[in-house]
Amino acid sequence: MAVSPELVFSVLMGLLLLVVAGWLTRLEDWQAYAPVGGGGYGESTGHGHEEKPAGLTRWLTTVDHKDLGILYATFGLVAFAWGGITAMLMRVELSTPNMDFLAPFGGIGLYNALLTTHGITMLFLFAAPLIFGFANYMVPLLVNADDMAFPRINAIAFWILPFSTILMWAGFFLPLLGVDIEAAKTSWTLYTPLSRNMAGTGVDVFLLGFHLSGISTTMGGINFIATIVAERDSASVPWSKLDIFSWTILTQGGLILFAFPILGAAIIMLLLDRNFGTTFFAGNGGGALLWQHLFWFFGHPEVYILVLPPMGLISLILPKFAGRKLFGFKFVVYSTLAIGILSFGVWAHHMFTTGINPRLTASFMAVSLAIGIPSAVKIFNWITTLWNGKLRMTAPMLFCVGFVQNFIIGGVTGVFLAAVPFDLVMQDTYYVVGHFHFIVFGAIGFALFAAMYYWFPMMTGRMYDRGLALWHFWLSIIGGNVTFIAMLILGYGGMPRRYATYLPRFTTWHDIATLGAFLMLFGQLAFVWNLWQSAKYGKRIDSADPWNLKQSDQFTNEWRWYESKRQTMLADGGDEETDADDAETPAAD
Amino acid sequence: MATEESEDHGHFLPAVRDWPRGYGEASWWPFFTALGLLVVYTGASLYVIGQGTDMVAPTVGVGLFVAGWVVSIVGMLGWIYQAFIVDFWNRGSHNGGASLRLGMLLFLGTDIATFGAGFVYYFFIRTGGWHTEYLPESGLLTSVLVINTVLLVVSSFTIHWAEGQLQKGNHQRFIQGLIVTFLLGAAFVAGQIYEYSEFILHEGFTITSGIFASGFFGLTGLHGMHVSFGVILLGVLAVRSLRGQYDEDRHVSVTTVSWYWHFVDAVWLFLVAVVYIGSVLGTEFSPF
Repeated sequence: MAVSPELVFSVLMGLLLLVVAGWLTRLEDWQAYAPVGGGGYGESTGHGHEEKPAGLTRWLTTVDHKDLGILYATFGLVAFAWGGITAMLMRVELSTPNMDFLAPFGGIGLYNALLTTHGITMLFLFAAPLIFGFANYMVPLLVNADDMAFPRINAIAFWILPFSTILMWAGFFLPLLGVDIEAAKTSWTLYTPLSRNMAGTGVDVFLLGFHLSGISTTMGGINFIATIVAERDSASVPWSKLDIFSWTILTQGGLILFAFPILGAAIIMLLLDRNFGTTFFAGNGGGALLWQHLFWFFGHPEVYILVLPPMGLISLILPKFAGRKLFGFKFVVYSTLAIGILSFGVWAHHMFTTGINPRLTASFMAVSLAIGIPSAVKIFNWITTLWNGKLRMTAPMLFCVGFVQNFIIGGVTGVFLAAVPFDLVMQDTYYVVGHFHFIVFGAIGFALFAAMYYWFPMMTGRMYDRGLALWHFWLSIIGGNVTFIAMLILGYGGMPRRYATYLPRFTTWHDIATLGAFLMLFGQLAFVWNLWQSAKYGKRIDSADPWNLKQSDQFTNEWRWYESKRQTMLADGGDEETDADDAETPAAD
Repeated sequence: MATEESEDHGHFLPAVRDWPRGYGEASWWPFFTALGLLVVYTGASLYVIGQGTDMVAPTVGVGLFVAGWVVSIVGMLGWIYQAFIVDFWNRGSHNGGASLRLGMLLFLGTDIATFGAGFVYYFFIRTGGWHTEYLPESGLLTSVLVINTVLLVVSSFTIHWAEGQLQKGNHQRFIQGLIVTFLLGAAFVAGQIYEYSEFILHEGFTITSGIFASGFFGLTGLHGMHVSFGVILLGVLAVRSLRGQYDEDRHVSVTTVSWYWHFVDAVWLFLVAVVYIGSVLGTEFSPF
């Protein structure tokens, strides 16, 4: 009997769930005492307190922004694992021109399903939740707020995410339960008429989950704006002193506000079309072009929803290890706002080859080229911050520098694609795939790794393993560049994207891309192992300033909060209750 | 969000009076609400699966869909009750309600985008070749439309008047204004149900009746859901005011709900102008 693809994937999903379950039981053991103030785990203060219940209940009921930040980040890493597994399966299949490796498990259909879930998972379940995780933990601390503006909505928004993920991944694990359902094979862009006419209820279940996850993101966006605008302590953090990460989160919130509801409405219209006989995207109704307009009116701002906060993370972290303040802080803020506004005027550059009016394509080309300017402003600001700085090549700094390198390649290839004549040739080739992977993994991923290492000591009270972190960095940057440059070259050669099979002449570069993917995989294994081990056994940090930020006068609000938390822990034997006044006092040297 | 600085803690505890009891930063309501939403979407999924296969009866999906809404609405009411309503007069007002007012404005921003997607579809087809066969036989401009429009516009004035009375300290008139607004809203919903039944049962004009019907039912349905939700919110306000809550200084939810209500009214006027009147302009149904 042939091994069914459903079985294989169900086993994979089951393993993933086991890992999560194992992690949760660990938490139960560790958290029998639940530290006050939260935001850390594995701290053996051994003292009880009354702010939160103990054990699993604490995590299910928490409305503390720091706990929710940890939950968001953990969820993001679980999704990262699934996104990574699917990517590896595709890359292994692409190591040969014909359908070989996946053939016994479902062949091209399975490849298309993997393609779809990989894109959706990485964008909506890994990158966005991990950004929200850091923003949840840090933004209220950075702006000296007591918590998020709406702590309960914050918790609702988080819990919606894993629930929506169940529906979005259902096409892979439901078949094990005997449900006759197939995973969506629509690609992440869900283009009609394919997504409208594709048979099978798996598409509908996926769309419903996707819609639910969008509600979560919208709630988060509203919450962050309200927190930064209305909960900010305007005495200690006036607008002029607002940090760069909060600026980018604020801008991101503004983009979410108008982008995600469009996607939600479009998904509902698509569902109605599929199940209730409406004509929103039918040939005689809105047609395929309407879907593309609505989708990309959401989709291009979504790119900046995902990339602006990572840019903020880099702008925040990179100066800390260059020993200098961020060069041209104001211009980085202005360029963030400029990108935010311009991002709503570029969507049709995804549609240059659809036959829309050439005068329209010309104007969209102009705006798309223009948006490169504020992005370049940031690049130059980061480089000038490094210039003549006292660089300390810690793991977060390495990822910051890697971000800049990857973003230059990802950005410049994007400027090329914004030009109509170039795009007409490169549309739907691997060149596009290489371009956006430089951004999504090379830039967004790297910034999130940098943030993870940078705040790891604060979140866990322990230091990560530097050796493993270096392995993570070098394997990621080398593997990433090998894979994505190979993709750019494949694109120049005319290799179309999305296909499971290809002409033999593309084999060499596909093999190189697969090789790079394995390097990245090993790097991420080092990353996950490092987080896991160091959170449990890592060396305890002995001060609230593990990065020596006081030396260069860059000891920022979130570290001040951490310092006062540690001080009160020492002073009264483990009660972490922080004093609001202490938290605002600038740390003395 | 109900927040407060408790006396013995400098740290802010958002959930002091919540379930589970006895903690400051724990609440079951968010998890409960999200779980309800999972059941809603699972119900919708099972309905679709039931339509496509014989694995599960579509009624199971519908049942779960309804049950899920019950769970999440109970969750939201529990949250609202314990975060805002219980012990109303003894809890302090957190930053004067600035976060809540901003939150409502931001939500209305997202709503503009939601409606926007539907209007984009309508403009997309309206600017194409247009034909009266897309419209219901008797046209769209009925007396129900006129009455409903008047009801909704008047209700915007009554809620504004009620707010004014509250600020003058006239609690009794404030309650009367709220109840009148609530009734006007409920009458609008009844009117829309009547209009739908006329179209669907008597004229056979349903959501599947072509490219205009999709847009018409999509947009008016979305708007009708907003009015219905607003009526629920007005009901909550009315109950709270009858229990003696709100005064000149403490009325954040009155302000936010009235903003919501004015917004829904404005959307309706736009909808009447471009969908009801706009669709018949230049056709034989046009009164102009």
